[in-house]
Amino acid sequence: MNYPIWQLGFPGGLLIAAIAVLHVFISHFAVGGGAYLVLTERRAYAHNDSELLGYVRHHSKFFALLTVVLGAVTGVGIWFTIGLVSPEATSSLIHTFVWGWAIEWVFFFVEIAAALIYVYHWDTLDRQPHLIIGWIYFIAAWASLAIINGIITYMLTPGRWLETGKFWDGFFNPTYWPSLCIRTAMAACLAGIFGLVTAMWQPSAVRERVVRWSGWWLALGIASLLPLSRWYFHNLPSYSRAYFSGAFSAPYIAVRHSLRGAAVCAAVALILTLVFALLRPKMMNPVVVAVLLIAGFGVMGSGEYLREFSRYPYVINSYIYANDVRVGQKEGIVANGVAKTSPWVHASANNPQVYGRQLFVVECSSCHSVDGYRAMRRFTRGWDAKFGSEVLLHLPVIRETMPPFAGDANDRAALGSYLVSLAPATPSGENEKELGQHVFTIHCALCHSVGGERRPLDLKGTDADSIAGMLGTLSDINSDMPPFTGTDAEGRALAAFLSNPGK
Amino acid sequence: MNLPIPYADPMPLPAPIWLLRTLLLLTFFLHVIFMNCLFGGITIALVCALRRKGSSFSARLAGDLGRLLPSIFAFTITLGVAPLLFLQVMYGQFLYASSILIGVPWLAIIGIVILAYYGVYFFSMKGEHGMAPVVLALVLLLLASVAFIYSNNFTLMLSPERWLDLYHNGANGWNLNWSEPSLLPRYLHFVLGALGISGLGLAVLGLRQKEDGYRGWLIEQGTFLFTGATLVNFAAGFWFLAKLEGPARLAFVGGNGLGTALLGIGLLLPLAAVAHLVMAKSSKSPNRQLVIGVSCGLLTVAVMVAMRDLLRNFALAPYFSPNQLPVVPQWKIIVLFLVLFGAGLATLYYMLRKVALATMIQAAAAQKLQ
Repeated sequence: MNYPIWQLGFPGGLLIAAIAVLHVFISHFAVGGGAYLVLTERRAYAHNDSELLGYVRHHSKFFALLTVVLGAVTGVGIWFTIGLVSPEATSSLIHTFVWGWAIEWVFFFVEIAAALIYVYHWDTLDRQPHLIIGWIYFIAAWASLAIINGIITYMLTPGRWLETGKFWDGFFNPTYWPSLCIRTAMAACLAGIFGLVTAMWQPSAVRERVVRWSGWWLALGIASLLPLSRWYFHNLPSYSRAYFSGAFSAPYIAVRHSLRGAAVCAAVALILTLVFALLRPKMMNPVVVAVLLIAGFGVMGSGEYLREFSRYPYVINSYIYANDVRVGQKEGIVANGVAKTSPWVHASANNPQVYGRQLFVVECSSCHSVDGYRAMRRFTRGWDAKFGSEVLLHLPVIRETMPPFAGDANDRAALGSYLVSLAPATPSGENEKELGQHVFTIHCALCHSVGGERRPLDLKGTDADSIAGMLGTLSDINSDMPPFTGTDAEGRALAAFLSNPGK
Repeated sequence: MNLPIPYADPMPLPAPIWLLRTLLLLTFFLHVIFMNCLFGGITIALVCALRRKGSSFSARLAGDLGRLLPSIFAFTITLGVAPLLFLQVMYGQFLYASSILIGVPWLAIIGIVILAYYGVYFFSMKGEHGMAPVVLALVLLLLASVAFIYSNNFTLMLSPERWLDLYHNGANGWNLNWSEPSLLPRYLHFVLGALGISGLGLAVLGLRQKEDGYRGWLIEQGTFLFTGATLVNFAAGFWFLAKLEGPARLAFVGGNGLGTALLGIGLLLPLAAVAHLVMAKSSKSPNRQLVIGVSCGLLTVAVMVAMRDLLRNFALAPYFSPNQLPVVPQWKIIVLFLVLFGAGLATLYYMLRKVALATMIQAAAAQKLQ
């Protein structure tokens, strides 16, 4: 609201997700791969294994090309993207943790310098200083992760920071340690996976040794993910846990799919590792490695998605909503209206839909599009203007992921009118039953089901006239419900449907 | 007129302005040095790659640049992160707004930089490949476009009066700041500056060589590049000055003591640098002349960085100054940062020292064998 909105035609969160998942995949490899390089080098010296040394030299070039270029620049890319998509939250993160970022930059600098020296000076440096520089690289890379981890976990669980506003309270927050351990385990997994990738280019004699060695990294990493994830889960705020446990009324199918997807990917990776890396390393082949890469990407992507999802409706828990509106600012916007708050929208007295379109951009477009991702048109079919306005008062009840609407009655009317204009339709049906079912879909199904799991309405057998009477007092029955805004005929049809939904 | 300037972040600044500005300017200065060496270095590498067959020195320099450029690229990026951080702390509300308005080209920088970076690695690993000059030309084009996008954003963030029009005409982020009169001269001034400073880089590379022929050639080429680019840049600089908005321009020509002094010093220093570099050839102590010349060139960059900061403050003066913001310094964490920064520098020194020692020992061993 404070900033212009970059109108991409799709929610900006998708852009963040695309760049972020690519970055975290490579950057965790950059951390685990650092330890892998230096321990493999040490192992080669200890066993006097020149082939293994040849492998690790080759691997280090691949490592640098991937992490120093794509890993580092996509990291800057996330920063660019969040500034474009959530400037208010980015500004807040920068102000809260400027010295955290600055310290992270010091480690980043050392990390890059050490990586370049390590990779370019195999022939120049003696073994010992080369190993030391490898360790310096790993320590700096891990420290960089440890700092960013503090900032990322703060967004989900700011903990005592909300009361004290103190740097360390936000940094060492309730999910800091479990998250750091999970990320470290993931870094070990990715070190193993990418170790297998480059092993495929090696002659078979050394390949087998590298495959087994990488397999241990992968196996130990995956095996530790399950207990660490449980530890992490228990430190989540209760509302975040509810997304996973199904305690919320809405079926968050994407969460279930992501959880199952992550579990399947981890299980597949573990089985493939045990069979093809540890038991039968000779049988390891590029197809299995490709499956492991995809599985690793699946685990990483699902984990990041779930972390982001469980933060809804906030981008910084209890501080800034997902649509970049500050929690503390909301009441003022409700009192004064968006047009008086944001310099980027202007109220159009003649055409509320034009104003409503601007409000959609400001309030909704960070998560919704009109026709594409999380499309609104399919939800608003058949709404009337009053319902469109009233329903905006109940967004967090409809879905727990949604921030409350920040605006006055005029704003609600304008946005409601715009939403209604997306898919104008009159409830219809060949008979009263069908009409009733249609009215139910429009007016009730955002929150209720009949015979389903979601806030089931079990009014079967109740007299239709009594139900019709209740429709006039919905807000009295439950203040979370918007009033029924359909016509009398639609109300009668709805009552008839609810009274006898089966026939 | 009500301008759509976002309110500053409600959180107080976690450090005094002087500290933030010092870190902003210091890290930006270092970034500019590396960025200039990168941009100019790629230009030189392109010329050398084209002249490789006719000139053994060109071929040798192409090889040297192939080894140096990936690291220079890495440090250009790394050193660019810090000033962007401190800039966001002090001027975030201006930078975020203008970045969103040019969102597409602004974010494209990331993709462009990745492509250019891999192009540089291609040259580094396959410098003699027939496609190397083509790749270098593309890299140069990519980096020139990055510089142009930066010039657009850093001028647009100073012009909130243009924001609403741009937003209403193109909220999808497909904008550039074409209506800024100083855009092209500013861009030209910075690009020519980069070429000039990379000339100093060549001279420094020459100073580190042992073989007289190659050393002399590098210093000569570096001097030529610095002198030529700097003299042309005087014209670009005056054009830039002429195209600045009235109050900002006036501040540099008498309206503001510091601005005027910096402009004067900024005019004299590069002339001093040229004089010392040119004199070095006939001097009894050429190395000393060269070092003074290079130092004057680097000081010119420092002065230009300070002037650029002043220009930003002059342009924003009607709307905002970071001095208005509340400050609650987080001293303990600042100290921790400074300690770690020192430790980081010490670690860097340790690593470079190890490499330097090992290189010296290897060189001595190779000489012994001969």
